[in-house]
Amino acid sequence: MTGTPLLKVRDLSVGLETGGGIRPIISGIGFDLAPREILGIIGASGAGKTVLSRALVNWIDPPLKVTSGSVIYKSQNILDLPAQKLRTLRREIAYVGANPAGALDPTLPVGQQIVEKLRAIAPEVPHDEARKRVIDLLGAVRIPSPQMRYHEYPSQFSGGMMQRALIVDALVSNPAFLVADNVTQPLDVTVAAQVLRLMRELTTRFDTAIVFISSSLPLVSDAADQILVLAEGRVVERQVTKALVATPQHPYTRELISQIPKIWTSEAVAIDPPAQSREPIISILDATRSYRVRKRGTFASYSTVRAVRNVTFDVFPGENFGIVGESGCGKSTLMRLLSRLERPDSGHVLCDGQDIARLSGKGLLKFRRDFQLVLQDPFNSLPPRTAIGAIIEEPLKTHGIARGEQLRDRVLSVMHEVGLPGALYDELPLGLSAGQRQRVNVARAMVLEPKVLIMDETLSSLDQTEQFKLLKLFEQLQVQHGLTYVYISHDLAMVRRVCNRVAVMYLGEVVEIADNSRLFFDPGHPYTKALLSAVPTLEERRYKPEDCLLEGEPPSPIDLPPGCSFTSRCPNAFGRCHQQSPVLTARGGKDLAACFLVENTLTHAAA
Amino acid sequence: MFVLSFLVRRLAQGALIVFLVTLLIFTLLRVVPGDPVRLMAGGMAPEALIEQIAKDMGLRDPILVQFGRYMGGVVRGDLGQSFVRPASGASTGGSSFGDSTRGERAEVLTLIGETLPMTLQLGGLAILFALVFSFLVGIPGGLAPGRWPDRVAFYISSIFISLPNFWLGIVLAMLLSVQLGWLPAIGYGGFAYTILPAIVLAVELAPVLIRTLTGSVAGVMMEPFIAVGNVRGLSRSRIIVAHALRNASVPLLNLIGIQISGLLGGVLVVEFIFDYPGLGLLTITAVLQRDFPLIQGIAIVTSAIFVFINIAVDLIATMIDPRLEY
Ligand SMILES: Nc1ncnc2c1ncn2[C@@H]1O[C@H](COP(=O)(O)OP(=O)(O)OP(=O)(O)O)[C@@H](O)[C@H]1O
Ligand code: SF4
Ligand SMILES: [Mg+2]
Repeated sequence: MTGTPLLKVRDLSVGLETGGGIRPIISGIGFDLAPREILGIIGASGAGKTVLSRALVNWIDPPLKVTSGSVIYKSQNILDLPAQKLRTLRREIAYVGANPAGALDPTLPVGQQIVEKLRAIAPEVPHDEARKRVIDLLGAVRIPSPQMRYHEYPSQFSGGMMQRALIVDALVSNPAFLVADNVTQPLDVTVAAQVLRLMRELTTRFDTAIVFISSSLPLVSDAADQILVLAEGRVVERQVTKALVATPQHPYTRELISQIPKIWTSEAVAIDPPAQSREPIISILDATRSYRVRKRGTFASYSTVRAVRNVTFDVFPGENFGIVGESGCGKSTLMRLLSRLERPDSGHVLCDGQDIARLSGKGLLKFRRDFQLVLQDPFNSLPPRTAIGAIIEEPLKTHGIARGEQLRDRVLSVMHEVGLPGALYDELPLGLSAGQRQRVNVARAMVLEPKVLIMDETLSSLDQTEQFKLLKLFEQLQVQHGLTYVYISHDLAMVRRVCNRVAVMYLGEVVEIADNSRLFFDPGHPYTKALLSAVPTLEERRYKPEDCLLEGEPPSPIDLPPGCSFTSRCPNAFGRCHQQSPVLTARGGKDLAACFLVENTLTHAAA
Repeated sequence: MFVLSFLVRRLAQGALIVFLVTLLIFTLLRVVPGDPVRLMAGGMAPEALIEQIAKDMGLRDPILVQFGRYMGGVVRGDLGQSFVRPASGASTGGSSFGDSTRGERAEVLTLIGETLPMTLQLGGLAILFALVFSFLVGIPGGLAPGRWPDRVAFYISSIFISLPNFWLGIVLAMLLSVQLGWLPAIGYGGFAYTILPAIVLAVELAPVLIRTLTGSVAGVMMEPFIAVGNVRGLSRSRIIVAHALRNASVPLLNLIGIQISGLLGGVLVVEFIFDYPGLGLLTITAVLQRDFPLIQGIAIVTSAIFVFINIAVDLIATMIDPRLEY
């Protein structure tokens, strides 16, 4: 660290004003930020990272209150500045948050709003020049066709693109430092990797220092020069990134590092491959599902979104089957087909050998009991005014399985099993943490003693530590009840840890199915390789992002062009890929991949 | 391109709506009791004569035939002639009925053409008053949820909503016109005559507008882009004017589209009280006199106006918020 620090934080404390006094949220935070440095801040969920990041830009609103300390920039404490002076400083202090979708006015074009901001903090810039600067920057963060995108509305931007637009919004005034709170959280790994790469470029290109905040250490360690560890509102450790990973000092950091799933260095999962002779418990045969959407600005024409295309695979009893892919690739549609929330347009979904589209009455009820869904969102999925016991009881009542005292006993034993204290039986879900809420969801599913649990991004909203605990729980439940799990997730590190077999989806198709270790060590599809190269990890990377990381995002699933659906992003695409689409091809054993290169190697090997 | 397809689609829908309204009114008028010919010819006219006139006017044909004939006229821009009113103005009394006078009966289109502008002027002024007032009261209320401006907005709208329009009309006429002599009240003799009835209508419209505006402004102020706007360096006044009001105006516009349909009832009452020579007064007399062609004509014109206003409202709303696409 050379020269004088850009930003000095001293003894910063923020408290939460409650009826009975002030509860400290962060206390005694102090650090320096050097020019052009990237300082990473990590900590568990609720450690106070967001509060700290907001305090750095003087954005603490009641009931939160700065109780002591200073944030000194250019020898003035920005926490003391009057609003008017602070506003002129905003051009040098920028902030990007975790919610790109809500950060701009939905009724105005993105470009126009960035210009509005620039002209509000730098009125001397003429309108034409502001506009030109915004378009240049949109190009610089690799938003395709920036001229056109400038005029589009926030809802027309994908999450990744919106996050990049917000980075433009932050950088347009050439700020001295940027606070980025969890910016990659809503993004797919591939897009997150692009944003991260962008952040690193910024420090050199625009001379911007960055405070990069995240709950994922692998992610932060990819970007940051130094890392500050926050636990329960206090700085417990600060080290240069490499040193922190190699020799963590504080017990919290050590625990955190030990819980990060190893991708390349650990053994494959210890799931016994289920006996081959057994019948599949789920079998999807050539299932296809499309939606019709009205074309914008046309009179009566519709286009077809092909959300799931010709998907075929089997899941065997006792398996942990993973389905991975970027957002919009059809994972959730597939989940809805599996749980009969929707039926396929063509093809079949067989569960226990029966076509679930044909089930009705008793058969359907039994299917609903045996195949339970645990959903993504721990915050909206629980009715806020129903006691936890009653929430878990409800499926038992619907299925008419138990009543009276029996009901309560059963619920209490399930609560015990998923690690919820029995005292919560009569509580409302309001005070529960995200992890506890997810446990209630699991209990609600487990109480019916199902055979299969379908987990749609069940763990993605939880932090490392909670995820770790819940995965332990799932393992234990599997041993006790012989469950089969289907994990739908975009988190490859988690999939690596728990799934014995994995299907990779791209634009509605399954492009590869393979056993865990084959998929991670010898992927057959270029897309799988690209996903793997983007996984944040503390280990030596097996696939270099430079070689296989994708640019951009998947094309829209509307009116797909002919040929391999991956052509537009595939680093290996060749002539044939533009005309024909490859089908899933065996590449030894049960592993399949849909790429012409696989066929080539096979024919080469045969020749 | 989008605007064009939108207009084509909505105008086609609107034509269908107007057609259905016409069919409904037409059928209803012919099944409710009360023979218009008897009213026209007077109680003393012999049964045979009534039958004769009814036949001549085509009133004994099947309803569908009558409707076909009527619609044939409508598409040519001919809404028919009033049963009762002579072309000269005042409605004819029943006893003076004579077949020879038919040619001198007033054209429905002319009658509507004379009164509609008066009502549009009244309605427009009422909406203007209501909007200005609800902005003045509702926006401060929405910006300070739970504090005094919010409570003021709440009390004002509660009071307004509990004032019956006929009562308010009479009280205001007594006070402002008879007592103080500030504004003329009864009849029409210039623009000033519109103000008092418009105030009464505005008081009827305002409460819902105030509540919607307070609610939607308060809702928009909780949106993340408002809070972030401050950190991005936008001033508070800019955030409110350029973003909060913009977003809050969409629900308000939709509401106005609906409220205008509800305004009709108020117009009837207010025009009657103030003897304001508009479409409302015309409607009341037409109904009392069983003047079928006039009632039908008014129904077609008013439903067409509603359709147009709602198309306009939706068009403006889509221009403000491009995510809405009707
Ligand atoms: N506006 C607020 N009102 C009440 N409590 C708050 C508020 N903001 C934060 N808190 C509390 O402060 C603590 C720290 O929250 P913070 O959002 O900073 O955590 P975080 O580290 O950002 O977590 P995550 O990783 O989940 O984003 C939490 O206990 C939270 O409940
Ligand atoms: S078929 Fe061609 S475009 Fe498709 S993944 Fe294989 S190499 Fe790439
Ligand atoms: Mg946070």
